[in-house]
Amino acid sequence: MHSYSIRTLDELKEFLHRAMQLEHATIPPYLTALYSIKPGVNQDATQVLRVIVVEEMLHLTIAANILNAIGGTPDLTRPDFAVSYPASLPDGETDFKVSIQAFSRDALATFLKIERPAQRPEHLAGKGLIQRKASLHTTALGGHPMHEDLYFYSIGEFYAAIVEGIKYLEAEAHRAGTSIFTGDRSRQITSEYYYSGGGELFPVTDLKSALEAIELVIEQGEGDGGGIYDDDEHELAHYYRFEELVEGRYYQKGDQPGHPTGPQLHVDWEGAYPIQQNLKVNDITGDRELLEATIAFNIRYGEFLQLLTRAYNGQPSLLLEAVPIMFEFRNMILELIRNPLRGYPGKNGSPTYEIPSSTKQPAITRQAEVTA
Amino acid sequence: MLFPLEAALKADAKTVEASGDYDIVIVGAGISGAIIAQQAVEAGKRVLILEAGTGANSTLAGYDDLLTTFYSAASKDNQSPFPLNANAAMPRSPQLRKLQAGETDSSTYIVQSGPYVSDTTYTRIFGGTTMHWEAKTPRLLRSDFKTRTNFGQGLDWPLSFEEIEDDYRLAEREIGVSANVEDQQYLQQTFPDGYVFPMRGLPLSYLDQQVNKGIEGTNVELYGKTYPLKVRPYPQGRNSIPNPAYDGGKGYRPIGAVNTHQVEEGGRCQGNTNCVPLCPVQARYHSGKTLAKAFAANGKQGGRLVELLSQAVASRVDIDPESGKVRSLEVKVYKDPASPAHETITVKGKVFVLAAGAIETARLMLASGLRSTSGLVGRNLMDHAYLLNWALMPQICGTMRGTSSTGGIVDLRDGPFRERQAAFAIDIHNDGWGWATGAPTSDLLELVDDRNLHGADLRRGVIDRVSRQLLLAFMIEVMPVESNRITVDPQYTDALGNMRPILSFTVPEYTMKGAAYGRQFARTIFARLGAQDHTQYDPSDFGYVAYERQGYAIRGGNHLAGTHIMGTTKTNSVVDKNQRSWDHENLYLVGGGSMPTIGTANVTLTLAAMCFRSSRDILKTLH
Repeated sequence: MHSYSIRTLDELKEFLHRAMQLEHATIPPYLTALYSIKPGVNQDATQVLRVIVVEEMLHLTIAANILNAIGGTPDLTRPDFAVSYPASLPDGETDFKVSIQAFSRDALATFLKIERPAQRPEHLAGKGLIQRKASLHTTALGGHPMHEDLYFYSIGEFYAAIVEGIKYLEAEAHRAGTSIFTGDRSRQITSEYYYSGGGELFPVTDLKSALEAIELVIEQGEGDGGGIYDDDEHELAHYYRFEELVEGRYYQKGDQPGHPTGPQLHVDWEGAYPIQQNLKVNDITGDRELLEATIAFNIRYGEFLQLLTRAYNGQPSLLLEAVPIMFEFRNMILELIRNPLRGYPGKNGSPTYEIPSSTKQPAITRQAEVTA
Repeated sequence: MLFPLEAALKADAKTVEASGDYDIVIVGAGISGAIIAQQAVEAGKRVLILEAGTGANSTLAGYDDLLTTFYSAASKDNQSPFPLNANAAMPRSPQLRKLQAGETDSSTYIVQSGPYVSDTTYTRIFGGTTMHWEAKTPRLLRSDFKTRTNFGQGLDWPLSFEEIEDDYRLAEREIGVSANVEDQQYLQQTFPDGYVFPMRGLPLSYLDQQVNKGIEGTNVELYGKTYPLKVRPYPQGRNSIPNPAYDGGKGYRPIGAVNTHQVEEGGRCQGNTNCVPLCPVQARYHSGKTLAKAFAANGKQGGRLVELLSQAVASRVDIDPESGKVRSLEVKVYKDPASPAHETITVKGKVFVLAAGAIETARLMLASGLRSTSGLVGRNLMDHAYLLNWALMPQICGTMRGTSSTGGIVDLRDGPFRERQAAFAIDIHNDGWGWATGAPTSDLLELVDDRNLHGADLRRGVIDRVSRQLLLAFMIEVMPVESNRITVDPQYTDALGNMRPILSFTVPEYTMKGAAYGRQFARTIFARLGAQDHTQYDPSDFGYVAYERQGYAIRGGNHLAGTHIMGTTKTNSVVDKNQRSWDHENLYLVGGGSMPTIGTANVTLTLAAMCFRSSRDILKTLH
């Protein structure tokens, strides 16, 4: 693993861009599943998904804060930023596909994999990165930015590499009498712009706050390894929240992983619109209105990423303008998923998240650019 | 913040009855009861809260059920989210009808006689009326505390503004008020150097800005004095941007909300425009947020410090004839809102706090035969009189965007004219003519039924009608008058056999003079805006009041006060300046009912401030 460690500030910046890409990549699947739920059913599932998607937005912003702290320039408009679905995520020695799909048992199984705490079995301890052939048409998340066929064993290890890199580079800088935390403080997004739900936004200005920020992201996703709650004992990690839906029962304090003993909750697995999985604009034929609505959503989503980019580059107050856009997304997505898809009996439309600037180029080009 | 599961569970009536060691027994889970409970728990005291409603909305699922009820309700009145419950009934405006002089209507929860019928409401549910309040949080003005001395009207408070100022800041912290100090420094309102509100002010809506464009820089004259016109932002009990400069730079962390199992609510205000009756995202403060903190203290201290007994309607205050102290409360605990079946229990404690709202607290006292030495229990009933004025703006103004009300014209809240006529504050309603005409439903029905519009024409028609609507709601001062009152009568009882409130109210002439001037004032504003006045008051309206050959429809403001008025002696008041009963030393009557005047400020912030004061007094007596 050593030879693939982060050794330059540019490498660290690239890793942090990958972290932003990874955190963002979970938002479209979660958001689509959330809005696919039919009105009046799955109240508990709606709340669980809502909280998690809001926290993923927090994680995206935290990654941007760290990148800003080391003098980087977050860019959500890079052609490789928004991934094409299905995208792949590391799952130990293999990977799995993350799709845009309706709320369902299948979707939940994927969500659990996304958030799963992954510990290496003993025989693989210290064995380094996993080598896999890169697929030409799938964006692989959690890969090594400089080595396209090398993957981290888990998201946890991906972040561990970042932690190691930050520590290493800051120690180096320290010896030279400087610091890697040279970013402009006014570019940090603070708690004025994000609250409610677990976690708070705080400015990243030094090693301590950077490590705390990464810790928060990892804990909210997988838990802290020790238990189902985070270390404040009041917040359940995403993995266990999804597990509650699968198990039909809430966790309560004192519970062991896999064995929730709180009150029952009801999930209606049929209570979602039957949207076509991983739909692409090109699949929509003979329905101009649906086609136009689908494209309009993608254009708006692209504008949203541009707005976030400006917000993360010194104009935090622009995040307030993002709030009404999230309402627009809800309305636009609801329109798409409640309309039948011609040529796919029993299936409805879906947001495709093919962002105009990035979809023009095939996946392979995007990969090449990153390596270059 | 986590709302612990065990605390959300109902306490058991038998255990409560057997338990003799409550330091404080509180009737009502509204903001008054919540603040006192929270303060007491912080001090390690044992507290029992009795709640007449089911308590179901103390969880997020229960809160969301209220939203579902609201969304599916045909009438969107301010009580529409709250299911009917005959055991803890509440006033509902759609049930009202016009009454002739002397005619009595006992078909609604509050018994009223004509000719004037008040549509005032309060909410008997976990969270009390903060479950439906609009959450505007202006302070009373300095002069409001001394209206007798200053204007020869109403009563002076036994408290000065200076004595309550610190508690205003505590209340602003508790509610998480959003406002900018510089916007609130009109009419000699002052703030200590460096003070900022917990959160930054919410921006004025586009409609506010359009109105301001038309009137800023113009004046009105009243009795020879000139008043400048301007739209100013209201302080609000809803989440905006936490101010990092709050509390000497420590910042403010917005409070969570009712909660179930790791699901947190209490987000930023998103401008849903249905603040009243219920915020869909709990951006608007309700007392469940304060109670969540109190309940969370249970875990911290090991034992259970605060218990909530829901479906428990206090029915009688039992006094020890020798000491005059409260011995116990008689409480009727029902099993099911659909059935009057109940058991009657006796609850004991050291201190008793009645925090059931100005009408219910007075009703409970009177039903217990406790009129007080002064005989003032139930008297001096006050509520702001609202006069609605509505017009169509010449241009599209984006009505229906933003929270219910973000700004208003408030420079006539004070002035020497108050010797002769009532002051008023004007709310600009971002939710259009709804309050006055039932818009936008009424507009839709007219466009479809009368004008046969459909498709694009209908959409265009709705936009053209609704987004130009301007409603100015004049909130007019009402002074205490002893004949405006709540009484009880054994012939009028509810499902549990408790006597219901009988309301007798006449809009005082002082107020009507303010209303008549307000109508003229609205015409002036509309003229300056080029807006087309659509205001009309129907003589068959239940709130119709004739005054000087003109007629006005006067609405209630749900800012109830005065029924256990605060004063300097046991002969001129019911409670002292700590809201402690003069007659019963371990009894506190708290809330709007203690207020001697209400000026032109919505009452919640002030009554919340008073409850911090009372909490200190209660804790002192318990030592």
